[in-house]
Amino acid sequence: MMATPLLELKSVTKTFGGLTANNQVSFKVHPGEIVGLIGPNGAGKTTLFNVISGYYAPSHGQILFNGKDISGKPPYELAALGIGRTFQVVKPFPGLSVLENVLIASFLRYPKRAQAEEHAWHILETTGLADRAEVSAAGLTLAGRKRLEIGKALALKPSFLLLDEVVAGLNPTEVDLTIELILKLRDQGVTILIVEHIMRVIMQICDRLAVLNYGEKIAEGTPAEISSNPAVIKAYLGETAA
Amino acid sequence: MRSKIITLSILVVLALGVIPLFVSDTFVLRILTEAIMWIGLAITFDVLAGYTGYLNFGHGAFFGIGAYTTAIMMVRANWPFTTALLAGAVITAVCALLAGFPTLRLRGAYFAIATWALSLAIQQLALILTITGGPDGMRLPPFLDPVYFFYLMLGVVSATFFLLWYLLERAPFGLKLKAIREDELGAQSLGLNPTRLKIQAFVLSAVPTGILGGIYAYWITFIDPASTLSDLVSDQALVMVVFGGMGTLIGPIIGAVLIFSFKTIFWAYLSNFQLLYLIILGAVIALSVVFLPNGLWGTIKNRKNRRDGPKKVEKSMSRDAEADKNIEKKSTLAAELKACTQKDGVK
Repeated sequence: MMATPLLELKSVTKTFGGLTANNQVSFKVHPGEIVGLIGPNGAGKTTLFNVISGYYAPSHGQILFNGKDISGKPPYELAALGIGRTFQVVKPFPGLSVLENVLIASFLRYPKRAQAEEHAWHILETTGLADRAEVSAAGLTLAGRKRLEIGKALALKPSFLLLDEVVAGLNPTEVDLTIELILKLRDQGVTILIVEHIMRVIMQICDRLAVLNYGEKIAEGTPAEISSNPAVIKAYLGETAA
Repeated sequence: MRSKIITLSILVVLALGVIPLFVSDTFVLRILTEAIMWIGLAITFDVLAGYTGYLNFGHGAFFGIGAYTTAIMMVRANWPFTTALLAGAVITAVCALLAGFPTLRLRGAYFAIATWALSLAIQQLALILTITGGPDGMRLPPFLDPVYFFYLMLGVVSATFFLLWYLLERAPFGLKLKAIREDELGAQSLGLNPTRLKIQAFVLSAVPTGILGGIYAYWITFIDPASTLSDLVSDQALVMVVFGGMGTLIGPIIGAVLIFSFKTIFWAYLSNFQLLYLIILGAVIALSVVFLPNGLWGTIKNRKNRRDGPKKVEKSMSRDAEADKNIEKKSTLAAELKACTQKDGVK
């Protein structure tokens, strides 16, 4: 038997007026796993991320983190509990330097400025941004901004990391570097839930996958199981291809 | 740079401190006292406008609340000045707390409008109540010692400046506020509670302003809604901060000195053209928004940084983000999945 899951979704539903973005989604993420969340555009992946990270309260259902109910708790409380997240549309603080960006996140675990700075430099080295520390965050390339996004989440010292399309838009070399970084984090004991469209990445790093379509979970399993699942192929490629 | 600024500030305060030893001209002391007061109003305005990204048109109301509380306690309750001033600070803090909860949920122009409306409401309240003396205002027991008020104003404003400098430029608090300014939603995922930080900033900005209002009331000995609670207090503070450079603390000081000097000269020689002063004030703000978006000090700082090498250059990136979003959408996921399923290269 596996230990208590780090994250457990119990039939989570999120509606916006008459629109159901997530319908009765349930799955578990166990400590040390990398779980991929995939699905066609508009399947409700980002909404589900926003529900898990506290930006939206679920309309129905429960979210358990370490066995405790966290449904509806605001993002800053979840950050303190150890949940870090990145945004699909990256959110750097453009008017501040790269170092300051990471420093702000470091204050959560290190309220003293000197220690926070030390921690921030350590994060910048891990994410390969140390040589750009003094640059304005607005001056980074897309790849740099995506790394900064991961760096800020990491500075929270999370036990659980939600990565929303951190690879999309990068060139192949940058993709490989990011994959390397994600695997390194897993080895350090960080559990990861990742949304990604680039299947090469998903297939390469994920232990398990959950597939969303029209807001509902249509499949769950290992990458090999998922890639031969008729329902998934139908969702992605249409009726005839299946 | 930072320690240089602190050394320079201490020198400026000391230099100002010895002025009354050499200057006994009441008029000059009066001008200097008021200039120092405006520096105080500008730097406290900057806490919200520059660091947190909220334009508070109710700033003048806090000044008025401090002034009126001090006056009411001294005149109606016969309290001594210091206790009355303290009461003014406490009441201002309570008002900031109460006003902050609803208004700080709003953003941008809506926050500006809401705070402006609140300050007008306070002005109307002072006009109709009897305890405030209505439109006739209030007379305070005169205490005509220009040197005392000069030192009091200098003491309070420099204490405020060093406190703000420590909190905003040294302690984590300033960076946290800037994170709220830059991206409130993004900041939440980094463990920052925006409501709490904004209320703290609001109170931090309001309390010294209320104290300045209390000192002003005792110094001028007469307050009325038309002068003490006029929008002009917030408006002038805004022009000083924008013209000098938002979010820098130093910029607002430069702005306050320049705008106040201009005002003094203008009123001395052209007092028949009061309307013209407002028009010029409007022109200054419009021109600085267009030609000096970072204000005088911000522009100087950016120039210096550019000369020193490729360091921080403040610039908006919203357009880049839009472009990136479009690129991201173009991933051909169906084709990739097909390729992955056909090849046996799966894990």
